[in-house]
Order: sequence, then C-alpha cells, then structure tokens
Amino acid sequence: MTERLLCCALSVLCVSGVAAAQSAPPDISGVWGPYRGGRGGDPSLAPPPAGPIVLRPEYAGPWEARRASEEDAIARGEPVATPAVFCVPYGMPTMMSVAVYPIEIIQTPAQVTIVAEAFSEVRRIYMDRPQAGIGEVPPGYYGRSVGRWEDDTLVVDTVGIKDSVQYQRIPHSDQMRITERIRLLAPDILHDEITIEDPVVLGMPVTYTLAYRRMPGYEMVEFVCDNNREYVDEDGVIRMRLGGN
Amino acid sequence: MPGIARVPAILVASLLAGAVTAGAHHSFAMFDQTAKVTLSGVVARFEWTNPHAYIEIDVPSSDEDGAAAHWTIELGSPSILLQSGWKFNDLEPGDEVTVEISPLRNGSPGGLLEYVVLPDGRTLGNGPGRGPSGGAGQ
Repeated sequence: MTERLLCCALSVLCVSGVAAAQSAPPDISGVWGPYRGGRGGDPSLAPPPAGPIVLRPEYAGPWEARRASEEDAIARGEPVATPAVFCVPYGMPTMMSVAVYPIEIIQTPAQVTIVAEAFSEVRRIYMDRPQAGIGEVPPGYYGRSVGRWEDDTLVVDTVGIKDSVQYQRIPHSDQMRITERIRLLAPDILHDEITIEDPVVLGMPVTYTLAYRRMPGYEMVEFVCDNNREYVDEDGVIRMRLGGN
Repeated sequence: MPGIARVPAILVASLLAGAVTAGAHHSFAMFDQTAKVTLSGVVARFEWTNPHAYIEIDVPSSDEDGAAAHWTIELGSPSILLQSGWKFNDLEPGDEVTVEISPLRNGSPGGLLEYVVLPDGRTLGNGPGRGPSGGAGQ
C-alpha cells in the first residue's frame, strides 16, 4: 500500500514537473535594439528579407501613385507631411521598429508590456485571454492584443487598429489582423515575425521580420515631444521653424 | 572631416532594412546634404529636447560693423545623440563653437548638424554613423 502511494506521488510529481518544464516560457524581458547582422554581428541571425506588399487592384493604384508622389517630393527636397511630423505616434505595427530606437519588453505571466522609446509608445499584450470580436474593439493606435506561448514562441494576435494608423502608408479596413510570432534565435537575439492580414485591402498577407539585439544595462531615454519645430506650410511641405534670438 | 558619414544613419538603416523600419519623425530632404556650410560663433541656446535637439548660434559678421547672423541647427533626438557620445550639458550659452551643417534648401539660416567642435576640442557628430562614435543599429 505504501509502495503504491509512493509510486502515485512520484508519478504526480513527475508529470507536474514535465508540465512545468514545458510551460516555462523563455525570458524576453529587457531592452532590445535593432539588429541587422552587420558590424561584427552574425548575418545568419539577421532578419530575412521582407515579403512583397500586394494590394487588391482597387487599392494598389492609388497607393502606388501616392508613394511615387511622395518620393518625387523628397527628391525635390520638399517632403510632404506624415503623422510622425506632428509627433503623432506610429501605432501598430510600425512602432515595433522606428529608426535605431530600442524597445523594452516587460514580461509577466499575465501580461507582456512593450514600450517603444521613440514617442514613448506602450502596448499591452494580455496573456491567455480570448480575443474580442473586431467590432467590439474601439479602433486605436495599438488595438487589443492577446498572446499565448506556443513552446518557445510568443504568438500575439492584434485587432482594432484605427484607419489613420498605417504600415508603409498602406490603407486598411477594420478587418485587418496582425499576428506576431516572437522568439529568441539566440540568448541575446530576438525576432518578431509580423503578418498583416486584411481580406478587403490586401491581395495576400504582408509578412516581415524584425530582429533585435539585447542591450544589457541600457536605460530607456525619455521621449516627450514638446519642442516640435517642424510644421507644414500652405503647400503641404515640411518646414523647420527657426529659433531666433 | 575624416570619419564623418555623409548620409544620415537613419536613412541608411531604412534602406538596408527593406523599408520595414520607419524613419524618425521626418524626412531630412529639406536639408541639402550635398552642400556643407561651416559656421563659427557663440551658442545662444542648446535645447536638449524631443523630437530634436537644437543649437541656436550667433555667427559674427565678417564686416566690422555688420550684425551677427543667427542660425538654427537641428540635431537628432537626445536618444540618438546619447548613442554617439553626447551629454545634455555638452553645450552652454556663451560657448564658442565651430559647426558644419547641411543647410536648408530654401536659404533660411538653418541646417542639419554634421558635427560640432566643442570649446574643449572634442568633436561630436549627429548620431550613430554621423560622428566620431559608433552606436546602435548593428
């Protein structure tokens, strides 16, 4: 009898131990800067090339025309305004990679919080909660994100991004859904594979991968946009306000 | 100036990343980066602010009786500058400095910093890849 009890107890311990080992996610907390595999880095850990951007025909023409127009304006030295010129945050998914600015990930079992240094953007990923219906999420810069661990990969589902928040200035419908697969490729290298689906606007999902390197000890820098000297003139061209004496 | 990159690091980063990375705040196309202007003068203000830091500088006239010209110099953000060796108090009003800038295309007295020579002789650039120090964006 005693032996049987001991055997049962060991089995329970063993099974729960395996479950605990399987459910322990990797620790991705910390500050992460962009990684491109250059300057002595490992090119094999660099992000793969981005996939193509394919819009449905009714959206492709206007989008390409606008891009061409904006490139012409830049070539003339008269860039047109984007929301960022007015210090409007980038929102999802653009905020995950802005120039050379880092992001900070704060990981707990119930929530993963990501703070982007540029414009101090914050998004919250609620773990192991059901996603709301798209029509129930008020459109915003970050939408509503829920996450779950699939082995060593954090899979994040995001809906509810407002019209004006655009990746590569691609328009989107309220059916847009962003899926991220976030995982460590090495102890200090993190990848975020981002897939944007929108059956109304996109001919096929847009997929690209961002790579980050861990920045131990880095202290995030405050970014409050309180001295924006850029403005847009009557022709829609960005100008810089001069300081004077 | 040896070691000074002529193209903004931010622009290079965007191109190398296949444009999946957003530029910071705005395009720098309003500045003529093929032209360089060197100014020597006195710092009126140094603003360690976002989205950009600024140096306001009074440049004495070359004529004996001429008035000083005031120039506005745009820099990267504090985060970008910290990554290339800057501190918030590296410049103070009254400091005599020499700056090289890419001037505004419209002829107004303003420009984008290429580098500044501080009173103590140090040279600081305008973010990773634009000055003596390296930085992020490996």
